[in-house]
Amino acid sequence: MTEATDAVQSARAAADRIAKAKRLNALLTPIKELRKSLVQQAQTVHPGGVLYGMPVAIKDNICTLEFETSCGSKILEGYRSPFDATAVAKLKAAGALVAGKTNCDEFGMGSSTEHSAYGRTIHPTEKTRVPGGSSGGSAALVAAGAVPAALGSETGGSVRQPASFCGIVGIKPTYGRVSRYGLVAFGSSLDQIGVFGRSVHDAARVLSVISGRDPKDATCEGRDPLRLPTVPENLDGFVIGIPKEYFPPDLDPGVRRACERAIRVLKELGAAVREVSLPHTPYAVPTYYIVAPAEASSNLARYDGVRYGPRFDGAADVAALYRSTRGQGFGAEVRRRILIGTYVLSSGYYDAYYRKAQQVRALLAQDFRNVFDRGVDLVFTPTTPTTAFKAGEKLADPVQMYLSDIFVCTANLVGLPAMSMPIGRVKGLPVGGQFIGQTFLEDEMLEAAYALERAVPAVEEA
Amino acid sequence: MSISREEVLHIARLAELDVVEEALPTLVEQMSRILDYVAQLNRLPTGETARPYVAGPDAITLRADEVKPWPLAFGPKQLAPAFRDGFFVVPRLEAFDDGGAA
Repeated sequence: MTEATDAVQSARAAADRIAKAKRLNALLTPIKELRKSLVQQAQTVHPGGVLYGMPVAIKDNICTLEFETSCGSKILEGYRSPFDATAVAKLKAAGALVAGKTNCDEFGMGSSTEHSAYGRTIHPTEKTRVPGGSSGGSAALVAAGAVPAALGSETGGSVRQPASFCGIVGIKPTYGRVSRYGLVAFGSSLDQIGVFGRSVHDAARVLSVISGRDPKDATCEGRDPLRLPTVPENLDGFVIGIPKEYFPPDLDPGVRRACERAIRVLKELGAAVREVSLPHTPYAVPTYYIVAPAEASSNLARYDGVRYGPRFDGAADVAALYRSTRGQGFGAEVRRRILIGTYVLSSGYYDAYYRKAQQVRALLAQDFRNVFDRGVDLVFTPTTPTTAFKAGEKLADPVQMYLSDIFVCTANLVGLPAMSMPIGRVKGLPVGGQFIGQTFLEDEMLEAAYALERAVPAVEEA
Repeated sequence: MSISREEVLHIARLAELDVVEEALPTLVEQMSRILDYVAQLNRLPTGETARPYVAGPDAITLRADEVKPWPLAFGPKQLAPAFRDGFFVVPRLEAFDDGGAA
Protein backbone atom coordinates (compact mmCIF):
# COMPACT_ATOMS: atom_id res chain seq x y z
CA MET A 1 0.00 0.00 0.00
CA THR A 2 1.34 3.49 -0.84
CA GLU A 3 1.69 6.30 1.66
CA ALA A 4 -0.99 8.30 -0.16
CA THR A 5 -3.42 5.37 0.20
CA ASP A 6 -2.62 5.24 3.92
CA ALA A 7 -3.37 8.94 4.24
CA VAL A 8 -6.65 8.61 2.32
CA GLN A 9 -7.76 5.73 4.54
CA SER A 10 -6.82 7.74 7.61
CA ALA A 11 -8.80 10.71 6.23
CA ARG A 12 -11.90 8.57 5.61
CA ALA A 13 -11.67 7.07 9.08
CA ALA A 14 -11.38 10.56 10.58
CA ALA A 15 -14.46 11.70 8.64
CA ASP A 16 -16.38 8.67 9.99
CA ARG A 17 -15.35 9.43 13.56
CA ILE A 18 -16.29 13.10 13.20
CA ALA A 19 -19.67 12.12 11.69
CA LYS A 20 -20.34 9.91 14.74
CA ALA A 21 -19.77 12.90 17.00
CA LYS A 22 -22.45 14.95 15.18
CA ARG A 23 -24.76 15.00 18.24
CA LEU A 24 -22.24 17.27 20.00
CA ASN A 25 -22.75 20.09 17.46
CA ALA A 26 -19.01 20.58 17.71
CA LEU A 27 -18.30 20.96 13.99
CA LEU A 28 -19.71 23.74 11.80
CA THR A 29 -18.45 22.33 8.48
CA PRO A 30 -21.05 20.11 6.75
CA ILE A 31 -19.83 16.51 6.98
CA LYS A 32 -20.17 15.90 3.22
CA GLU A 33 -17.94 18.88 2.44
CA LEU A 34 -15.49 17.78 5.14
CA ARG A 35 -15.27 14.20 3.85
CA LYS A 36 -14.57 15.37 0.29
CA SER A 37 -11.95 17.88 1.40
CA LEU A 38 -10.18 15.45 3.74
CA VAL A 39 -9.78 12.90 0.94
CA GLN A 40 -8.52 15.60 -1.45
CA GLN A 41 -6.03 16.86 1.12
CA ALA A 42 -4.84 13.30 1.82
CA GLN A 43 -4.18 12.68 -1.86
CA THR A 44 -1.87 15.66 -2.15
CA VAL A 45 -0.29 15.94 1.30
CA HIS A 46 3.49 15.63 1.45
CA PRO A 47 4.45 12.37 3.17
CA GLY A 48 7.62 13.67 4.83
CA GLY A 49 5.97 15.89 7.45
CA VAL A 50 6.08 15.23 11.20
CA LEU A 51 2.27 15.36 11.36
CA TYR A 52 1.74 13.36 8.16
CA GLY A 53 -1.92 12.37 7.83
CA MET A 54 -2.95 13.72 11.24
CA PRO A 55 -6.43 15.30 11.14
CA VAL A 56 -6.48 18.54 13.11
CA ALA A 57 -9.77 20.42 13.63
CA ILE A 58 -9.60 24.22 13.59
CA LYS A 59 -11.61 26.70 15.65
CA ASP A 60 -13.90 28.77 13.46
CA ASN A 61 -12.11 32.05 14.21
CA ILE A 62 -8.89 30.86 12.54
CA CYS A 63 -8.77 31.46 8.79
CA THR A 64 -8.56 28.50 6.41
CA LEU A 65 -8.74 28.35 2.65
CA GLU A 66 -10.67 25.08 2.75
CA PHE A 67 -13.74 26.01 4.76
CA GLU A 68 -15.82 29.01 5.74
CA THR A 69 -14.66 31.11 8.69
CA SER A 70 -17.72 32.49 10.48
CA CYS A 71 -16.34 32.96 14.04
CA GLY A 72 -19.61 31.40 15.22
CA SER A 73 -21.35 34.59 14.12
CA LYS A 74 -24.16 35.49 11.74
CA ILE A 75 -22.22 38.59 10.73
CA LEU A 76 -19.59 36.43 8.99
CA GLU A 77 -21.95 33.74 7.72
CA GLY A 78 -20.61 32.43 4.40
CA TYR A 79 -17.27 34.25 4.68
CA ARG A 80 -14.39 32.39 3.07
CA SER A 81 -10.90 33.67 3.81
CA PRO A 82 -8.58 34.27 0.85
CA PHE A 83 -5.60 33.01 2.90
CA ASP A 84 -4.63 30.45 5.51
CA ALA A 85 -3.66 31.55 9.00
CA THR A 86 0.07 31.03 9.48
CA ALA A 87 -0.63 28.32 12.10
CA VAL A 88 -2.80 26.47 9.56
CA ALA A 89 -0.22 26.87 6.80
CA LYS A 90 2.43 25.41 9.14
CA LEU A 91 0.16 22.46 9.98
CA LYS A 92 -0.34 21.75 6.28
CA ALA A 93 3.39 22.01 5.60
CA ALA A 94 3.94 19.40 8.32
CA GLY A 95 1.50 17.02 6.60
CA ALA A 96 -1.57 17.55 8.81
CA LEU A 97 -5.09 17.51 7.35
CA VAL A 98 -7.46 20.40 8.12
CA ALA A 99 -10.39 18.52 9.66
CA GLY A 100 -13.09 21.19 9.49
CA LYS A 101 -14.06 24.23 11.53
CA THR A 102 -15.28 23.90 15.09
CA ASN A 103 -18.08 25.63 16.92
CA CYS A 104 -17.22 28.40 19.37
CA ASP A 105 -18.69 31.28 21.30
CA GLU A 106 -19.18 34.12 18.84
CA PHE A 107 -15.78 35.77 18.14
CA GLY A 108 -14.42 33.85 21.15
CA MET A 109 -16.62 35.75 23.62
CA GLY A 110 -17.95 33.27 26.14
CA SER A 111 -17.06 30.46 28.51
CA SER A 112 -19.56 27.77 27.55
CA THR A 113 -19.96 27.65 23.72
CA GLU A 114 -23.58 28.64 24.29
CA HIS A 115 -23.04 32.02 22.59
CA SER A 116 -22.70 30.64 19.07
CA ALA A 117 -25.11 31.70 16.32
CA TYR A 118 -25.12 28.02 15.26
CA GLY A 119 -26.37 26.49 18.51
CA ARG A 120 -24.62 25.30 21.62
CA THR A 121 -22.00 22.54 21.72
CA ILE A 122 -22.81 19.61 24.01
CA HIS A 123 -20.38 18.29 26.63
CA PRO A 124 -18.84 15.05 25.29
CA THR A 125 -20.01 12.82 28.17
CA GLU A 126 -22.77 14.76 30.03
CA LYS A 127 -25.30 16.13 27.58
CA THR A 128 -26.91 18.52 30.08
CA ARG A 129 -23.58 20.26 30.65
CA VAL A 130 -21.39 22.67 28.69
CA PRO A 131 -17.97 21.76 27.26
CA GLY A 132 -16.60 25.15 28.34
CA GLY A 133 -15.59 27.86 25.94
CA SER A 134 -15.00 29.65 23.90
CA SER A 135 -13.16 26.85 22.05
CA GLY A 136 -15.75 24.27 23.17
CA GLY A 137 -16.21 22.66 19.74
CA SER A 138 -12.49 21.86 19.40
CA ALA A 139 -12.34 20.50 22.97
CA ALA A 140 -15.46 18.33 22.56
CA LEU A 141 -14.22 16.81 19.27
CA VAL A 142 -10.85 15.88 20.77
CA ALA A 143 -12.44 14.53 23.97
CA ALA A 144 -14.86 12.42 21.91
CA GLY A 145 -11.91 10.83 20.09
CA ALA A 146 -12.97 12.24 16.71
CA VAL A 147 -9.60 13.92 16.12
CA PRO A 148 -6.30 13.55 17.99
CA ALA A 149 -5.70 17.29 18.18
CA ALA A 150 -7.35 20.63 17.43
CA LEU A 151 -6.52 24.32 17.39
CA GLY A 152 -8.35 26.75 19.63
CA SER A 153 -7.69 30.32 20.63
CA GLU A 154 -7.35 32.06 23.95
CA THR A 155 -8.13 35.61 24.96
CA GLY A 156 -8.98 34.77 28.58
CA GLY A 157 -8.59 31.02 29.06
CA SER A 158 -10.64 29.77 26.12
CA VAL A 159 -8.42 26.71 25.55
CA ARG A 160 -7.55 25.73 29.14
CA GLN A 161 -11.07 26.09 30.58
CA PRO A 162 -12.75 23.79 27.99
CA ALA A 163 -9.78 21.39 28.18
CA SER A 164 -10.42 21.15 31.92
CA PHE A 165 -14.19 20.64 31.51
CA CYS A 166 -13.70 17.95 28.82
CA GLY A 167 -10.80 16.06 30.43
CA ILE A 168 -8.10 16.70 27.82
CA VAL A 169 -4.86 18.69 27.51
CA GLY A 170 -4.99 22.35 26.45
CA ILE A 171 -1.95 24.60 26.01
CA LYS A 172 -1.75 28.38 25.71
CA PRO A 173 1.75 29.41 24.63
CA THR A 174 3.62 32.56 25.61
CA TYR A 175 2.25 35.67 23.87
CA GLY A 176 4.44 35.90 20.78
CA ARG A 177 5.27 32.17 20.52
CA VAL A 178 2.67 31.48 17.79
CA SER A 179 1.75 33.84 14.97
CA ARG A 180 -1.66 35.51 15.23
CA TYR A 181 -1.79 36.11 11.48
CA GLY A 182 -5.15 34.77 10.35
CA LEU A 183 -6.58 34.55 13.87
CA VAL A 184 -9.61 36.83 13.76
CA ALA A 185 -8.79 39.57 16.27
CA PHE A 186 -10.76 39.88 19.52
CA GLY A 187 -8.37 41.37 22.12
CA SER A 188 -5.08 41.88 20.32
CA SER A 189 -2.90 42.24 23.42
CA LEU A 190 -4.34 38.98 24.84
CA ASP A 191 -5.10 36.69 21.87
CA GLN A 192 -3.02 33.58 21.21
CA ILE A 193 -3.69 30.42 19.24
CA GLY A 194 -3.61 27.35 21.50
CA VAL A 195 -3.70 23.59 21.09
CA PHE A 196 -5.83 20.69 22.34
CA GLY A 197 -4.68 17.06 22.49
CA ARG A 198 -5.72 13.84 24.17
CA SER A 199 -2.22 13.60 25.66
CA VAL A 200 0.52 16.08 26.55
CA HIS A 201 2.62 14.73 23.69
CA ASP A 202 -0.11 15.12 21.04
CA ALA A 203 -0.75 18.72 22.08
CA ALA A 204 2.94 19.54 22.43
CA ARG A 205 3.96 18.27 19.02
CA VAL A 206 1.22 20.29 17.32
CA LEU A 207 2.31 23.35 19.31
CA SER A 208 5.89 22.76 18.22
CA VAL A 209 4.81 22.74 14.55
CA ILE A 210 2.76 25.96 14.69
CA SER A 211 5.28 27.92 16.80
CA GLY A 212 8.10 30.11 15.53
CA ARG A 213 8.70 33.32 13.70
CA ASP A 214 6.35 34.85 11.14
CA PRO A 215 7.10 38.04 9.23
CA LYS A 216 3.35 38.58 8.82
CA ASP A 217 2.82 39.16 12.57
CA ALA A 218 4.85 41.93 14.18
CA THR A 219 4.07 40.58 17.67
CA CYS A 220 5.38 37.11 16.87
CA GLU A 221 8.80 36.65 18.46
CA GLY A 222 11.62 35.83 16.05
CA ARG A 223 12.48 32.48 17.66
CA ASP A 224 12.92 29.02 16.26
CA PRO A 225 10.01 26.63 16.76
CA LEU A 226 9.58 25.13 20.23
CA ARG A 227 11.83 22.11 20.79
CA LEU A 228 10.04 19.30 22.57
CA PRO A 229 11.62 18.12 25.82
CA THR A 230 12.17 14.45 26.57
CA VAL A 231 9.97 12.73 29.11
CA PRO A 232 11.79 13.10 32.44
CA GLU A 233 12.32 10.20 34.87
CA ASN A 234 11.39 12.45 37.79
CA LEU A 235 11.04 16.10 38.76
CA ASP A 236 14.19 16.37 40.87
CA GLY A 237 15.35 19.98 40.93
CA PHE A 238 11.96 21.46 39.98
CA VAL A 239 10.48 24.07 42.33
CA ILE A 240 6.71 24.36 41.98
CA GLY A 241 4.79 27.22 43.57
CA ILE A 242 1.25 26.80 44.89
CA PRO A 243 -0.42 30.24 45.03
CA LYS A 244 -2.75 30.46 48.01
CA GLU A 245 -5.09 32.86 46.17
CA TYR A 246 -6.05 30.03 43.78
CA PHE A 247 -7.36 27.89 46.66
CA PRO A 248 -10.10 30.10 48.17
CA PRO A 249 -12.44 28.74 50.87
CA ASP A 250 -15.32 28.42 48.38
CA LEU A 251 -13.32 26.29 45.90
CA ASP A 252 -15.32 23.19 44.94
CA PRO A 253 -14.27 20.47 47.46
CA GLY A 254 -13.83 17.87 44.71
CA VAL A 255 -11.58 20.20 42.69
CA ARG A 256 -9.57 20.89 45.85
CA ARG A 257 -9.16 17.15 46.55
CA ALA A 258 -7.98 16.48 42.98
CA CYS A 259 -5.44 19.33 43.14
CA GLU A 260 -4.14 18.22 46.54
CA ARG A 261 -3.69 14.69 45.19
CA ALA A 262 -1.81 16.06 42.15
CA ILE A 263 0.43 18.13 44.44
CA ARG A 264 1.24 14.97 46.46
CA VAL A 265 2.17 13.25 43.18
CA LEU A 266 4.43 16.17 42.19
CA LYS A 267 6.22 15.83 45.55
CA GLU A 268 6.57 12.07 45.10
CA LEU A 269 8.14 12.76 41.70
CA GLY A 270 10.84 14.79 43.43
CA ALA A 271 9.63 18.37 42.96
CA ALA A 272 10.02 20.86 45.77
CA VAL A 273 6.61 22.37 46.41
CA ARG A 274 6.20 25.69 48.20
CA GLU A 275 3.31 28.02 48.95
CA VAL A 276 3.56 31.36 47.15
CA SER A 277 1.42 34.46 46.89
CA LEU A 278 0.07 36.28 43.83
CA PRO A 279 -1.68 39.04 45.77
CA HIS A 280 -3.41 40.85 42.91
CA THR A 281 -5.18 37.71 41.63
CA PRO A 282 -8.67 38.86 42.80
CA TYR A 283 -8.36 41.82 40.42
CA ALA A 284 -7.67 39.73 37.32
CA VAL A 285 -11.27 39.17 36.20
CA PRO A 286 -12.36 42.83 36.52
CA THR A 287 -9.16 43.87 34.71
CA TYR A 288 -9.84 41.37 31.96
CA TYR A 289 -13.44 42.58 31.54
CA ILE A 290 -12.20 46.10 30.89
CA VAL A 291 -9.24 45.33 28.61
CA ALA A 292 -10.86 42.61 26.47
CA PRO A 293 -14.13 44.47 25.66
CA ALA A 294 -12.18 47.69 25.00
CA GLU A 295 -9.98 45.96 22.43
CA ALA A 296 -12.95 44.02 21.04
CA SER A 297 -14.97 47.19 20.48
CA SER A 298 -12.14 48.48 18.31
CA ASN A 299 -11.37 45.20 16.51
CA LEU A 300 -15.02 44.48 15.70
CA ALA A 301 -15.63 47.95 14.26
CA ARG A 302 -14.70 46.53 10.84
CA TYR A 303 -17.87 44.41 10.62
CA ASP A 304 -20.28 46.85 9.04
CA GLY A 305 -21.99 44.99 6.22
CA VAL A 306 -19.80 46.53 3.54
CA ARG A 307 -16.55 44.58 3.67
CA TYR A 308 -17.45 41.19 5.14
CA GLY A 309 -20.39 38.84 5.42
CA PRO A 310 -24.09 39.43 4.92
CA ARG A 311 -25.60 42.89 4.76
CA PHE A 312 -28.94 43.70 6.38
CA ASP A 313 -30.46 45.99 3.76
CA GLY A 314 -33.28 48.51 3.86
CA ALA A 315 -31.26 51.25 5.54
CA ALA A 316 -31.86 54.90 4.64
CA ASP A 317 -28.22 55.94 4.80
CA VAL A 318 -24.76 54.50 5.35
CA ALA A 319 -24.77 55.00 9.14
CA ALA A 320 -28.14 53.23 9.38
CA LEU A 321 -26.77 50.40 7.22
CA TYR A 322 -23.87 49.94 9.67
CA ARG A 323 -26.14 50.06 12.72
CA SER A 324 -28.67 47.69 11.27
CA THR A 325 -26.11 45.15 10.06
CA ARG A 326 -24.21 45.19 13.34
CA GLY A 327 -27.36 45.17 15.47
CA GLN A 328 -28.78 42.14 13.66
CA GLY A 329 -25.50 40.39 12.83
CA PHE A 330 -23.94 40.27 16.31
CA GLY A 331 -25.38 38.14 19.10
CA ALA A 332 -26.31 39.40 22.57
CA GLU A 333 -22.97 38.70 24.30
CA VAL A 334 -20.92 40.37 21.55
CA ARG A 335 -23.24 43.41 21.50
CA ARG A 336 -22.92 43.69 25.28
CA ARG A 337 -19.12 43.55 25.15
CA ILE A 338 -18.90 46.08 22.31
CA LEU A 339 -21.05 48.46 24.36
CA ILE A 340 -18.96 47.95 27.52
CA GLY A 341 -15.78 48.43 25.49
CA THR A 342 -17.08 51.60 23.86
CA TYR A 343 -18.14 52.91 27.28
CA VAL A 344 -14.76 52.33 28.99
CA LEU A 345 -12.89 53.93 26.09
CA SER A 346 -15.20 56.92 25.80
CA SER A 347 -14.20 60.44 26.70
CA GLY A 348 -14.06 60.98 30.46
CA TYR A 349 -13.93 57.26 31.31
CA TYR A 350 -10.69 56.16 29.62
CA ASP A 351 -8.42 56.97 32.59
CA ALA A 352 -10.83 55.57 35.17
CA TYR A 353 -11.24 52.25 33.38
CA TYR A 354 -8.83 51.36 30.59
CA ARG A 355 -5.70 53.12 31.87
CA LYS A 356 -6.40 51.85 35.38
CA ALA A 357 -6.83 48.29 34.08
CA GLN A 358 -3.52 48.48 32.20
CA GLN A 359 -1.81 49.60 35.42
CA VAL A 360 -3.32 46.68 37.34
CA ARG A 361 -2.11 44.39 34.57
CA ALA A 362 1.43 45.58 35.28
CA LEU A 363 0.90 44.71 38.98
CA LEU A 364 -0.30 41.21 38.03
CA ALA A 365 2.83 40.73 35.89
CA GLN A 366 5.00 41.91 38.79
CA ASP A 367 3.35 39.32 41.08
CA PHE A 368 4.61 36.54 38.79
CA ARG A 369 8.07 38.10 38.43
CA ASN A 370 8.38 38.20 42.24
CA VAL A 371 7.55 34.49 42.47
CA PHE A 372 9.83 33.39 39.64
CA ASP A 373 12.69 35.61 40.88
CA ARG A 374 12.63 33.65 44.15
CA GLY A 375 13.55 30.41 42.44
CA VAL A 376 10.13 29.02 41.55
CA ASP A 377 10.10 27.33 38.12
CA LEU A 378 6.36 26.82 37.67
CA VAL A 379 3.08 27.58 39.35
CA PHE A 380 0.42 24.88 39.82
CA THR A 381 -3.28 25.69 40.36
CA PRO A 382 -6.75 24.34 39.63
CA THR A 383 -7.78 25.32 36.08
CA THR A 384 -11.36 26.13 37.03
CA PRO A 385 -13.18 26.61 40.34
CA THR A 386 -15.77 23.91 39.46
CA THR A 387 -16.27 21.06 37.03
CA ALA A 388 -18.40 21.60 33.87
CA PHE A 389 -21.57 23.50 34.78
CA LYS A 390 -25.06 22.90 33.41
CA ALA A 391 -26.18 24.46 30.14
CA GLY A 392 -28.16 27.65 30.74
CA GLU A 393 -27.00 27.88 34.36
CA LYS A 394 -24.99 31.10 33.94
CA LEU A 395 -26.57 32.65 30.85
CA ALA A 396 -28.69 35.21 32.67
CA ASP A 397 -25.83 36.52 34.80
CA PRO A 398 -22.78 37.54 32.73
CA VAL A 399 -20.64 38.24 35.80
CA GLN A 400 -21.15 34.68 37.10
CA MET A 401 -20.16 33.38 33.65
CA TYR A 402 -17.04 35.60 33.68
CA LEU A 403 -16.03 34.23 37.10
CA SER A 404 -15.66 30.73 35.68
CA ASP A 405 -12.46 32.10 34.07
CA ILE A 406 -11.04 33.40 37.35
CA PHE A 407 -8.00 31.05 37.38
CA VAL A 408 -7.22 31.20 33.66
CA CYS A 409 -7.49 34.81 32.51
CA THR A 410 -4.39 36.02 34.41
CA ALA A 411 -1.98 34.14 32.12
CA ASN A 412 -3.46 36.01 29.15
CA LEU A 413 -3.25 39.35 30.93
CA VAL A 414 0.47 38.85 31.61
CA GLY A 415 1.39 36.88 28.47
CA LEU A 416 2.74 33.78 30.24
CA PRO A 417 2.53 30.19 28.92
CA ALA A 418 0.02 27.97 30.71
CA MET A 419 -1.67 24.62 30.24
CA SER A 420 -4.44 22.48 31.65
CA MET A 421 -4.28 18.70 32.00
CA PRO A 422 -6.66 16.14 33.49
CA ILE A 423 -5.85 15.25 37.12
CA GLY A 424 -8.94 13.37 38.29
CA ARG A 425 -12.73 13.24 38.29
CA VAL A 426 -15.50 14.42 40.57
CA LYS A 427 -18.84 12.63 40.19
CA GLY A 428 -17.61 11.45 36.80
CA LEU A 429 -16.72 14.93 35.54
CA PRO A 430 -13.11 15.79 34.67
CA VAL A 431 -10.99 18.14 36.80
CA GLY A 432 -8.12 20.08 35.25
CA GLY A 433 -4.85 21.09 36.89
CA GLN A 434 -3.04 24.12 35.53
CA PHE A 435 0.67 24.84 35.17
CA ILE A 436 1.71 28.45 34.55
CA GLY A 437 5.29 28.76 33.30
CA GLN A 438 7.83 31.46 32.64
CA THR A 439 8.04 33.48 29.44
CA PHE A 440 9.13 31.25 26.53
CA LEU A 441 9.91 28.34 28.88
CA GLU A 442 7.14 26.06 27.59
CA ASP A 443 9.66 23.20 27.55
CA GLU A 444 9.97 23.26 31.37
CA MET A 445 6.18 23.35 31.71
CA LEU A 446 5.85 20.39 29.34
CA GLU A 447 8.49 18.38 31.24
CA ALA A 448 6.49 18.72 34.45
CA ALA A 449 3.27 17.87 32.59
CA TYR A 450 4.80 14.75 31.02
CA ALA A 451 5.87 13.53 34.45
CA LEU A 452 2.55 14.33 36.13
CA GLU A 453 0.56 12.74 33.29
CA ARG A 454 2.37 9.42 33.82
CA ALA A 455 1.81 9.38 37.56
CA VAL A 456 -1.53 11.02 38.35
CA PRO A 457 -4.70 8.85 38.26
CA ALA A 458 -6.43 11.21 35.81
CA VAL A 459 -9.60 9.17 35.27
CA GLU A 460 -10.13 8.17 38.91
CA GLU A 461 -12.42 9.94 41.38
CA ALA A 462 -10.53 12.35 43.59
CA MET B 1 -22.70 53.09 40.03
CA SER B 2 -25.17 52.27 37.33
CA ILE B 3 -25.78 53.25 33.75
CA SER B 4 -29.00 54.81 32.49
CA ARG B 5 -31.15 53.85 29.52
CA GLU B 6 -30.14 57.09 27.77
CA GLU B 7 -26.45 56.40 28.32
CA VAL B 8 -26.81 52.92 26.81
CA LEU B 9 -28.53 54.39 23.76
CA HIS B 10 -25.80 57.03 23.45
CA ILE B 11 -23.05 54.40 23.68
CA ALA B 12 -24.89 52.25 21.13
CA ARG B 13 -24.88 55.19 18.70
CA LEU B 14 -21.14 55.66 19.25
CA ALA B 15 -20.64 51.93 18.60
CA GLU B 16 -22.88 52.08 15.50
CA LEU B 17 -25.07 49.35 16.86
CA ASP B 18 -28.87 49.15 16.74
CA VAL B 19 -30.40 48.05 20.03
CA VAL B 20 -34.00 46.86 19.91
CA GLU B 21 -36.40 48.40 22.42
CA GLU B 22 -37.37 45.07 24.02
CA ALA B 23 -33.72 44.25 24.80
CA LEU B 24 -33.00 47.57 26.51
CA PRO B 25 -34.15 46.90 30.11
CA THR B 26 -32.07 43.70 30.36
CA LEU B 27 -29.09 45.38 28.68
CA VAL B 28 -29.23 48.35 31.08
CA GLU B 29 -29.41 46.00 34.07
CA GLN B 30 -26.57 43.74 32.85
CA MET B 31 -24.28 46.61 31.84
CA SER B 32 -24.82 48.28 35.21
CA ARG B 33 -23.93 45.04 36.97
CA ILE B 34 -20.77 44.57 34.87
CA LEU B 35 -19.64 48.18 35.38
CA ASP B 36 -20.29 47.91 39.14
CA TYR B 37 -18.22 44.73 39.17
CA VAL B 38 -15.23 46.13 37.29
CA ALA B 39 -15.32 49.35 39.35
CA GLN B 40 -13.69 47.40 42.22
CA LEU B 41 -10.36 48.21 40.53
CA ASN B 42 -10.75 51.74 41.87
CA ARG B 43 -10.18 50.36 45.38
CA LEU B 44 -6.66 49.41 44.36
CA PRO B 45 -4.17 52.28 44.71
CA THR B 46 -1.98 52.52 41.63
CA GLY B 47 -1.13 56.24 41.62
CA GLU B 48 -0.89 58.56 38.67
CA THR B 49 2.58 57.46 37.69
CA ALA B 50 2.16 53.66 37.74
CA ARG B 51 3.48 52.10 34.56
CA PRO B 52 0.75 50.67 32.32
CA TYR B 53 1.29 47.16 30.98
CA VAL B 54 2.80 46.78 27.53
CA ALA B 55 1.54 43.79 25.56
CA GLY B 56 4.05 41.08 24.83
CA PRO B 57 7.18 39.87 26.55
CA ASP B 58 9.98 42.43 26.97
CA ALA B 59 12.08 40.35 24.58
CA ILE B 60 9.81 41.08 21.63
CA THR B 61 11.24 43.52 19.14
CA LEU B 62 8.76 44.69 16.57
CA ARG B 63 9.73 44.35 12.94
CA ALA B 64 9.93 47.46 10.79
CA ASP B 65 6.46 48.73 9.88
CA GLU B 66 6.84 48.36 6.14
CA VAL B 67 3.99 47.84 3.73
CA LYS B 68 4.60 44.76 1.59
CA PRO B 69 2.28 43.00 -0.80
CA TRP B 70 1.02 39.65 0.46
CA PRO B 71 -0.43 37.68 -2.44
CA LEU B 72 -3.96 36.42 -1.87
CA ALA B 73 -4.98 32.92 -2.89
CA PHE B 74 -7.74 34.50 -4.94
CA GLY B 75 -8.40 38.09 -5.95
CA PRO B 76 -11.08 40.66 -5.14
CA LYS B 77 -13.18 39.58 -8.10
CA GLN B 78 -13.68 36.16 -6.54
CA LEU B 79 -14.00 37.65 -3.07
CA ALA B 80 -16.65 40.31 -3.67
CA PRO B 81 -20.38 39.65 -3.96
CA ALA B 82 -20.32 41.92 -7.01
CA PHE B 83 -17.33 43.41 -8.85
CA ARG B 84 -17.28 45.51 -12.03
CA ASP B 85 -14.53 47.38 -13.89
CA GLY B 86 -12.16 47.16 -10.95
CA PHE B 87 -14.73 48.36 -8.40
CA PHE B 88 -16.79 46.64 -5.67
CA VAL B 89 -20.46 47.08 -6.46
CA VAL B 90 -22.50 48.03 -3.39
CA PRO B 91 -26.29 48.28 -3.08
CA ARG B 92 -28.10 51.50 -3.86
CA LEU B 93 -29.02 53.35 -0.68
CA GLU B 94 -32.47 54.88 -0.27
CA ALA B 95 -30.84 58.30 0.09
CA PHE B 96 -29.92 58.14 -3.61
CA ASP B 97 -33.22 56.77 -4.87
CA ASP B 98 -34.21 60.15 -6.34
CA GLY B 99 -32.15 59.41 -9.42
CA GLY B 100 -28.62 59.81 -8.03
CA ALA B 101 -25.72 57.67 -9.19
CA ALA B 102 -25.59 53.99 -8.24
